Amino acid sequence: MSVSPNHESSVNRREFLVRLGITGALIAGSGLAARKLWQPKHFVPGFEKEKGLQLRSYAPDISKVLPSLAIAHGMEHEKTIRAALAVLGGMGRFIQRGDVVVIKPNVAFDRPPALAATTHPEALRAVAKLCYEAGAAKVIIADNPINSPTGCFLKSGLTAVVSDMHLDLLYPETNSFAPLSLDGEVLKEWTFFNTPFKKATKVIGLAPCKDHNLCHASMTMKNWYGLLGGRRNQFHQHIHSIVSDFALMMKPSLVILDGMNVLMSNGPTGGRLSDVKRMNTIVAGTDMVAVDAYGYAHLLERNLDELTYIHKAHERGLGNKNWKETLHKEVQA
Amino acid sequence: MGVLFIMASEKKIGTGNRREFVRLKIPLAERIASVVIIALLAGIGIFIAIKGKRFDPNLYNVRTEALRSTSAAVVGKDATARSLTDSQPVSSETPKPAADKAAGGEENSAEGGMDHSAAAPKPALKHEPLEISHAGIKPMSPTEFYTADNLFEKIDGRAPAYQSFNVQQMRCRSFNVIAATGSYVDVYEFRFDNPVDAFGMFALERDPKGKPLSMAPDGYSGEMGYFYRQGAVYVQIIASDVKPETMAVAKAIAENRAKELPADDSGLAGRRKLPAEGMLADSVAFIPDNAQGQSALKEVFQAKYKFDGAELPFFIMVATPDVAAKAWKSFQNFCGKYGAVEILPDVSGGKIFRAQVFGKWKVVYQRDGELGGVFDAEDGAKAQAFIEKYLRGEIK
Repeated sequence: MSVSPNHESSVNRREFLVRLGITGALIAGSGLAARKLWQPKHFVPGFEKEKGLQLRSYAPDISKVLPSLAIAHGMEHEKTIRAALAVLGGMGRFIQRGDVVVIKPNVAFDRPPALAATTHPEALRAVAKLCYEAGAAKVIIADNPINSPTGCFLKSGLTAVVSDMHLDLLYPETNSFAPLSLDGEVLKEWTFFNTPFKKATKVIGLAPCKDHNLCHASMTMKNWYGLLGGRRNQFHQHIHSIVSDFALMMKPSLVILDGMNVLMSNGPTGGRLSDVKRMNTIVAGTDMVAVDAYGYAHLLERNLDELTYIHKAHERGLGNKNWKETLHKEVQA
Repeated sequence: MGVLFIMASEKKIGTGNRREFVRLKIPLAERIASVVIIALLAGIGIFIAIKGKRFDPNLYNVRTEALRSTSAAVVGKDATARSLTDSQPVSSETPKPAADKAAGGEENSAEGGMDHSAAAPKPALKHEPLEISHAGIKPMSPTEFYTADNLFEKIDGRAPAYQSFNVQQMRCRSFNVIAATGSYVDVYEFRFDNPVDAFGMFALERDPKGKPLSMAPDGYSGEMGYFYRQGAVYVQIIASDVKPETMAVAKAIAENRAKELPADDSGLAGRRKLPAEGMLADSVAFIPDNAQGQSALKEVFQAKYKFDGAELPFFIMVATPDVAAKAWKSFQNFCGKYGAVEILPDVSGGKIFRAQVFGKWKVVYQRDGELGGVFDAEDGAKAQAFIEKYLRGEIK
């Protein structure tokens, strides 16, 4: 350090520049060190990045001989569902001995069965019976209703079927959920009703066919909405995107659309028998896009062009909206 | 900082007789500390900048247990679960889900019901439990309360339809029918901001096959329930089945609610003026504004009428005479712009014009504060005959 004539500790220009350089280098070095040491994990207390699960595919092998879509008309649930399944090759094509089967009904509301806002108890009874006949070791029933689960299952008549047939009814509990990861259009990371799928080897979607105030129709694809947890109503802003995402999220063994009694108006809750129309039809298949396409056009009797989520799912290669192009068969029970 | 401080020490401080204060030595520790502080500040700044750029809220899930200490207990949607208290064998065997328990199994002791509106930003409405005096019923659950903000928790995708009519609150409760084991009746009361909006929602969901009710100004009975508007409340009484015992109880409850709820038809003068003769009951609708594409037509009631083999859409608006006259003139000008208008002779104090616009007929009258007319009619003569008969009081 040089000394000026007046002050021993003053610095000259050279030394000042050297010190400035050292300080700058230290700042840059600390920045680089921070960048090097920085880890992507968010550190804000209360938040953490979670690695979500991805559902396996439960879909059966594609058959070039057996239809992938069956349409059965009849007067009774069991007889008509049996007829539809027979077209597809029987329940044995989907369920093998020892399988643990999850049946996902739509029990979103605490409505009586006659109002067709929920899966009909006779439809559940018939499908569960067919599963056991095919050798299923266990049949699990699960849904995460928008209303209180016990009230919904009780009032929809499904609790009685569960009790009669000794099925496993899994209510959503606090620890029943796990994060799900999906590369969906809007569904990326979300909490999912996971417990029923921990031991499941097969999954069947059993949905009523009904009008929906926001997305025009609730059928087999929309049915999987009931597996989401959290404040899922926020997806209502992107309802068609989220419903099409369900065709990516879930690859079920089989879907069955109950069109025996169709909620034609004031859905998804209904409330009047006049909203319900008897259509005496069961549609079953492995391609839920095709099943829903049939349901919208022939059970809800509407123009398929307006059902945005079907087109989205079709364009994303998640199914075939042109159900007539699929291997299908229509029968009378 | 150290460098700057050293430079500052070279400056003479003080003037006159004061002694100059000059720091002759800057300790090494102080210099190192200053450099470290600068480095830390720079590091924090860079870290925040990088982090801010890369943070995507979609990638993070809230870990609720970490926030538990900061949250208030939320009362969940567990009221219907109280059906388990019913004596039915099925329900008594069913375990109550932990989610329900965690959500707060206690009844809202202050109000006697389940409050679902705790998080609602709007001022809370009075939470009176739904008590019904009837010997044939037994409550299955406490009363549930919802606001416009959380109505979706009860009716999900149906909620936006109610919100569009400014629903304020919904309360509901289920009752077991003592005379019919396993049967129950659900009572829903949707309270709107005014009777007109209540009517609007009621009309939107109207059952075309419903039988008119006398217990309330607007209502009908369906095969499994009773639906009506009383004041600003849209009431839905829904039975679980069509057993005579169940339906008898549903009717008794409907009568009870119609009697207990305050009557209020304010804003519904137009509805009252719609003639009953020839009306297709399921066609009554309320158009809050911009009816017929006319900004002057507000709070309009309309319905379809069977008349002389034709089906005629008819509307009525009730306002002040001045407003009605201006709206009539405005409508006439509009029709003249896009079609041919003919002024007809007055009938019973009513001014009338007839117009053919885009191939359809309109016959519109104004009498005092009442404006109305037939629109979109295929047959202009029948539309005119209908209006003239109405003005003469021959259609009631």
